[in-house]
Amino acid sequence: MRRYFFEILALLLIGGSMFFFKESIDYLARRDYIAALVVMVIGISVITVGKEMARLALVQRD
Amino acid sequence: MTAVGADTVPDPTSPAQGARGEKRWRTFADAVALTLGLNVWLSLVLVPAIHVGAMRTAWQIALVLLPLAPLLVGIWRRSELALLGAFPSALLVPISVTPMIASPHLYGPVRFGMVGAGIVAYVLSGSFFMAFHEPAAPVSTRPLASAASVRPARWQRRERIYWQLTILAVVCPVLGLYWVNFDPGITSFLTQMYPGRVHGMSTLLNVAVLALWLVLFLHVFLGALRPHRTGDRDLVTTLALARADAAKGRPRLRFHLAVAAALGFMALLVYLRHL
Repeated sequence: MRRYFFEILALLLIGGSMFFFKESIDYLARRDYIAALVVMVIGISVITVGKEMARLALVQRD
Repeated sequence: MTAVGADTVPDPTSPAQGARGEKRWRTFADAVALTLGLNVWLSLVLVPAIHVGAMRTAWQIALVLLPLAPLLVGIWRRSELALLGAFPSALLVPISVTPMIASPHLYGPVRFGMVGAGIVAYVLSGSFFMAFHEPAAPVSTRPLASAASVRPARWQRRERIYWQLTILAVVCPVLGLYWVNFDPGITSFLTQMYPGRVHGMSTLLNVAVLALWLVLFLHVFLGALRPHRTGDRDLVTTLALARADAAKGRPRLRFHLAVAAALGFMALLVYLRHL
């Protein structure tokens, strides 16, 4: 059960990080470089958490 | 008679002789690293800085002289980190403060090629000489039976791929830097989009190319070669630690750091929006 929970979380977090990267591109287009950088770091952090969740899903034993 | 002969003829396998050979070899390696490092500093920083007049104040002179410190420390300490990490990074400091130093107008494709060849020569020789240790002369040698046979095709293929990767590792960053600095399309785009800030944007793009190259090098080039370094004791230890780390059923430190960073930067973004 925990395995599926971690899998769903990983999917949500990795998919959700794409939103931050898209926002980063939008900020770049508006030449708001600081905001673009900040949002990009948020995206990287979220995708890192997603990766960790995927790893935890892999090491779970059913 | 035999005893007298043994005393007068220096024994190449003796520890004293080996230490002398090692010292001579080290002095040669230091001289090569110093010469090539100075060449890189002269061609990349000093001459362009004099040309654009970036040595007017004491602060600017100090910045131009800054890369010499890690170079000399690296040679004195024989440190790979200083010679291959700190020195090339220090070269970027005066360039980032005065981007005109790296202006493509100063270089031209031919000089760019020469400076690039100097940097590649420095990096390759520094890496080779720092990692190479002359083994002591053997007391006796005996040829192995396998040494006489033709090298297997798989080893020839491996060696060919190693050479191809080495050549590509030089060509890729040089092409990226060449495009950023000399491609007419990119130059005209920068002039049109960032009038008056072309030098700064060129420097930013150069740094972006180098950063992208570092990521590619770590993940693509080193990634392809890493499985072949099975005889490296340090690497085997690192792999064992990584396996043990991956098998842990709990979130690692990077998970907590990433959560903290995400929350912190979200708060920063909200603060910036409502400033």
